[in-house]
Amino acid sequence: MAGILGIYLFDERWDVYNFGVFGLMALQHRGQETVGLEVFGKSRGKIEGEGLVDQVLVNNKTAGHICLGAVSPYPASNGEIQPIRLSENVSLAIDGKILRIDGYQWDPTLSYEGNLRRALEGDSVEEIQEFFSRCRGGFSYIALNGKPEMVAGRGDLGVKPLVLGKMGFEGGIVSSESCVMDIIGERVPISPAENIEPGEVRIFTPLSAHAERLRNCSRRAYCSFEYVYLARPDSYINEIPVYRVRRKIGEVLAEEGRVEADVIIGVPETAVPFAMAYSNSTGIPVEKGFELTGRRVRSAMKPNQIERLKGVQLKLNVISEAVRGKRVVLIDDSVVRGNTLANIVYLMKEKGAKEIHVRIGSPHIVSHCPFGVEVPPEDELIGRHLPEEKIAEVVGADSFRYLSIDGLVEATGLKFDDLCLGCFNGNYPEV
Amino acid sequence: MKVLLVGGAGREHAIALTLARSVHQPRLYCLSEMVNPGIKKLVDSSRGEYFRGDINDPGHVANVAEEVGVDFVFVGPEEPNFHGVPDRLEEKGIPCIGANRAVSELEMSKASMRDLQWKYKIPGRLWYKKFRTYEEAIPYIEEYADSIALKPARQAGGKGVKVIEDFQVYLQEDKRRVKREHAESIVKEYMRGYEDTEYRLLIEERVWGPEYTLHCFTDGRTVLPMPVVQDNKHAFDGDLGMETGGMGSVSCGMNLRYGIDDERSIITEEEYKRSVEIVRMMIEAIQRETDKKYHGVVAGQMMLTSVWGPTVIEMYSRLGDPEAANVLTMLRTDLVEICEAIIGERLNTIKAEFDDRAVVVKAVCPEGYPSKRDLARGHPVRISVDNGTGSILWASADLVDGRVLTGGSRIVECVGTGSSIPEASSVAERLCGAVSLEDGWKVFHRSDIGSEKFMERRIALANMAREIYQYRERKGLLGKRMMWIPGKGLVEVG
Repeated sequence: MAGILGIYLFDERWDVYNFGVFGLMALQHRGQETVGLEVFGKSRGKIEGEGLVDQVLVNNKTAGHICLGAVSPYPASNGEIQPIRLSENVSLAIDGKILRIDGYQWDPTLSYEGNLRRALEGDSVEEIQEFFSRCRGGFSYIALNGKPEMVAGRGDLGVKPLVLGKMGFEGGIVSSESCVMDIIGERVPISPAENIEPGEVRIFTPLSAHAERLRNCSRRAYCSFEYVYLARPDSYINEIPVYRVRRKIGEVLAEEGRVEADVIIGVPETAVPFAMAYSNSTGIPVEKGFELTGRRVRSAMKPNQIERLKGVQLKLNVISEAVRGKRVVLIDDSVVRGNTLANIVYLMKEKGAKEIHVRIGSPHIVSHCPFGVEVPPEDELIGRHLPEEKIAEVVGADSFRYLSIDGLVEATGLKFDDLCLGCFNGNYPEV
Repeated sequence: MKVLLVGGAGREHAIALTLARSVHQPRLYCLSEMVNPGIKKLVDSSRGEYFRGDINDPGHVANVAEEVGVDFVFVGPEEPNFHGVPDRLEEKGIPCIGANRAVSELEMSKASMRDLQWKYKIPGRLWYKKFRTYEEAIPYIEEYADSIALKPARQAGGKGVKVIEDFQVYLQEDKRRVKREHAESIVKEYMRGYEDTEYRLLIEERVWGPEYTLHCFTDGRTVLPMPVVQDNKHAFDGDLGMETGGMGSVSCGMNLRYGIDDERSIITEEEYKRSVEIVRMMIEAIQRETDKKYHGVVAGQMMLTSVWGPTVIEMYSRLGDPEAANVLTMLRTDLVEICEAIIGERLNTIKAEFDDRAVVVKAVCPEGYPSKRDLARGHPVRISVDNGTGSILWASADLVDGRVLTGGSRIVECVGTGSSIPEASSVAERLCGAVSLEDGWKVFHRSDIGSEKFMERRIALANMAREIYQYRERKGLLGKRMMWIPGKGLVEVG
């Protein structure tokens, strides 16, 4: 996955660099390993590097009224830092994965980017649009050519999100999530951004901005993990407020995994709304259970175990007064391998918690996502191999329960068939 | 009966069509810079004549009117008003529908309009500041101006307005720089050639809410309000992109209903009444101030804001374009009779009747409009449907040797009618699809205007603004703004 951003302003007097920086900061939760920002003005310049947005984009060496940027959870050693160069003139920021391209024979000796480069012919708006219409998979993209013209769209299935916002009479902003518009866009009462529909393409040229609908895509496969974990709670994904889903997940958990307890604690940041809703519907008080040391990072997205544990231990120092002598319902968003969870349970017991009942705001993860959500190989997934009672023993909890798949679907308010639940049931949409 | 129409855009085509359907069957004459193919047809079929010429030269307009021996002149656009065309006609004893130089100040000087509104304490007044020079404005922009609209202090063909929301302090430096640079270009570029106003630059507070235009006929004594129309200024779909003269407009009933038999509306009946009252007060104020009678059309370009409810953004001294196509399509009363009543100052004897039908107007523009008009000009136009019904109005188009060439602005305005705005929108949408350029240069229009989603969003926005202004009203805070300036104390405006 990644967080992608394109800003297209018509008035050449603007310098969008800072808009790019703060826009990417609003997407930082979608990727914390690499950052890239390419600015188009009188000339074209790119700043990229490993680290967080405010570590990489430190000085404005480039100016222009249009920009393309991305944050990514993949280390630079795994591939090129986005936005990637597709051809001499075309740059691309992409969230998700293209699995195949109609009319193109994938060359396994080439890198992923190498295949995309070979398959793309031409750099006009029409050619870029045509290229992405042949791409199959789960992805959203923003591409810019040298003119510069911007093309942005979502794959047919709509797996990855993409929204359009605006800046008054000045231009438009395309990004993975609507929270970007709150941070750098015009504050529009009602809704901050417009959902870009699967199969819809948004085109910006110096003379126009318009939508094109290449074909009607009726099959939907919205990534359910966006609602559970990936997206920010202040964003709308497919026009649904993420926070609403998270609150509902907490309510469903309270029904499905009801237990006698004294206190509810959510693991920051993602699981906090689950815990609040669980508390509101059971009447059991919610407490702040942890304090953070250092910079806020998404520990689960770290590429290796040491980094993840480091993240967890620094992020999650248990506040003993909140748990001592109490029966705790500990709510987390997901369990991948279980070892960071085990660490948290251990720390909490050490601080005097009497009982710990773990509740997870998502179903068990059983499968590796082909569309690029960071899920490790299947033999590492605890939920694929062990039943709930066994996991409780492994992590040292008194009880352990996942959210059911039906419960998740209910919480999103979407139809079962419109969601991709592949990481929880192994069924991915055909591409 | 002979009528001379001054102006040749989409608005004037709409006026010509409405005059042509009068029972008085006037002979139509037209004077404009380009030959509008639609008006030309009506002129020819009524055995009138089309004159190509300068509409802003009072002497020239008066000569044409005298030569023809017209019964009255109908001035379409604003510039002839600013140049005193109606005044000259009056001197010569030629009746005219058009605001004279003095009263058209309402539109011409955006600064005077605000002065007047504050002096007479007319509701819906925005907080503003006017400047004679760019330098005068700089300290102000640096220190105070957050979310503001920067405007040329004079009506400059609808160009040069920039609205910048400057709320996020982390982006403030970039926004202030653009504000400064734009303020400079307003004074140095957009106002170039307009030497008739003392003030050059106007800064107003930025407000939000649904916009709407309320037109009224007036003879200086009676005010006859028309249905409210919503115009859409952004160039591209989804209210995105540069400001234009207007990409399309919607109307239904007097207060922007969703459909004929629909309870939903953008403006309530009460808000409609208040808006009429505001426009009436503006007319009264400008007449008192100038001691001149207002004969013609006046319009409030309004917004339903959270601060005031109905709020004046700008005033028009003529029919809006493309809004003219909405109100004139809906008008059931004979326009010639209305004009004669205005001239005779007996508008109180006329009952203006309007159709309840939904009307959606969509402009089709050549690429390049509005920012690079040179690129948009001179392309041959093709319309692939029979336009016998007059539902496609010619706008910025010039009939040259039997061919129609783009003039650089909106080419045509497609008029759809129906029982609801979305229904009328799809009719207009079909008509838009019939317009293309023979040389393959691209055209664009806004497909979202009048769609269901569009209407729902506008209604939701109105509801949000309404909730806030009604709350303020209950608290006695309507139009009041309070600021605590540390060290200075409480500052109240309003």
